[in-house]
Amino acid sequence: MVFEKIVEILRNYKEEPELEVTMTSSFEELELDSLDTVELVMEIEEAFDTSIEMDGTLLTIGDVVGLIEKAIA
Amino acid sequence: MIKTPLCELLDIEFPILQGGMAWISDAQLAAAVSNAGGLGIISSMNADENWLRQEIQTAKSLTTKPFGVNVMLMNPHVDKIAQVLIDEKVPVVTTGAGNPGKLMKLWIDAGIKVIPVVPSSGLARYSERAGATAVIAEGGESGGHVGDLATMPLVPQVCDAVSIPVIAAGGIGDGRGIAAALMLGAVGVQLGTRFLVASETNIHENYKDKIIKAKDIDTTLSGRSLGHPVRCLKTTFAKEFLKAENDPLTPKDTLEEFGRGALRIAAQEGDSKKGCFMAGQIAGLIHEKESVNEIIIKLVKETETALNGGIQWVK
Repeated sequence: MVFEKIVEILRNYKEEPELEVTMTSSFEELELDSLDTVELVMEIEEAFDTSIEMDGTLLTIGDVVGLIEKAIA
Repeated sequence: MIKTPLCELLDIEFPILQGGMAWISDAQLAAAVSNAGGLGIISSMNADENWLRQEIQTAKSLTTKPFGVNVMLMNPHVDKIAQVLIDEKVPVVTTGAGNPGKLMKLWIDAGIKVIPVVPSSGLARYSERAGATAVIAEGGESGGHVGDLATMPLVPQVCDAVSIPVIAAGGIGDGRGIAAALMLGAVGVQLGTRFLVASETNIHENYKDKIIKAKDIDTTLSGRSLGHPVRCLKTTFAKEFLKAENDPLTPKDTLEEFGRGALRIAAQEGDSKKGCFMAGQIAGLIHEKESVNEIIIKLVKETETALNGGIQWVK
């Protein structure tokens, strides 16, 4: 559920409706630099009405899914 | 007189900050700027906590006014540095090269005002949410590590994105630049390059001479391929570096190694073959070596003239 919503946000952000995303996709593979990552994570936070810690450990979509799931649990 | 809400917020006379420049912004420079009514900032670069504690104590012996410390978040000693700032009750911390994240909470809880340097409105919004007192919107015209956006588009967009005070940096070297920054919505400015030539700045005389001689076209961006572009003067070193960087056969490690120590060599030895002389695009505007006090007085006067002059175009 969280993963699907994040994929939707990500596809919208990148304007690529067919973008292949898995839990192990890294921001680097998705061609998102650190500034994109900040923008994207903030959009995700707004969508789930929560906030997560954004630091160097946030490398993959799975990392974001894990933190969001914990935050809204 | 130029007064903005930033003056009261940071307990300073003029809304002028001196940028934290690695190997350059030491206790003497920071204290001189604070004594002149601005906010001096010590650069903690890659130094360890003992070095920083010493610099902070030296600055305290030279000024009773507030000053700040710039923390480079990639510094391997960053956690210990963070604690020294709390122990020494440094009033203001500016951050660069990363996301201050968890450290910010620590500092804010200790009563430190945190002002991250941001290259985008997204990071500005994130900083505001994390409790930043203000943000420094720094355009890619500045010297040292730079972002992509230029100051002119960055500052108004950051001002629209956040409700905390915005300080403009990058490409500001005189009162006209300060006036322009205020018109873009900033309530303060941060200058680095202008202070390079100050008499209180402890760098090699060759460095100062190069800034005085520099023209508008004399800076370049190196290190883009390494993910952390640095604006510096087009010296022999910079040209060699760019040549190696543009050669697809140069391994990244070799390039990293090429640049190692180059900032220190420029500042302390003034060697243009081995040193990387960080400077902003505004270097061409700087023609005189002056004291920090003279620089700040001049900046304020020029800003007043520019702002008062602007009204002539309103018909």
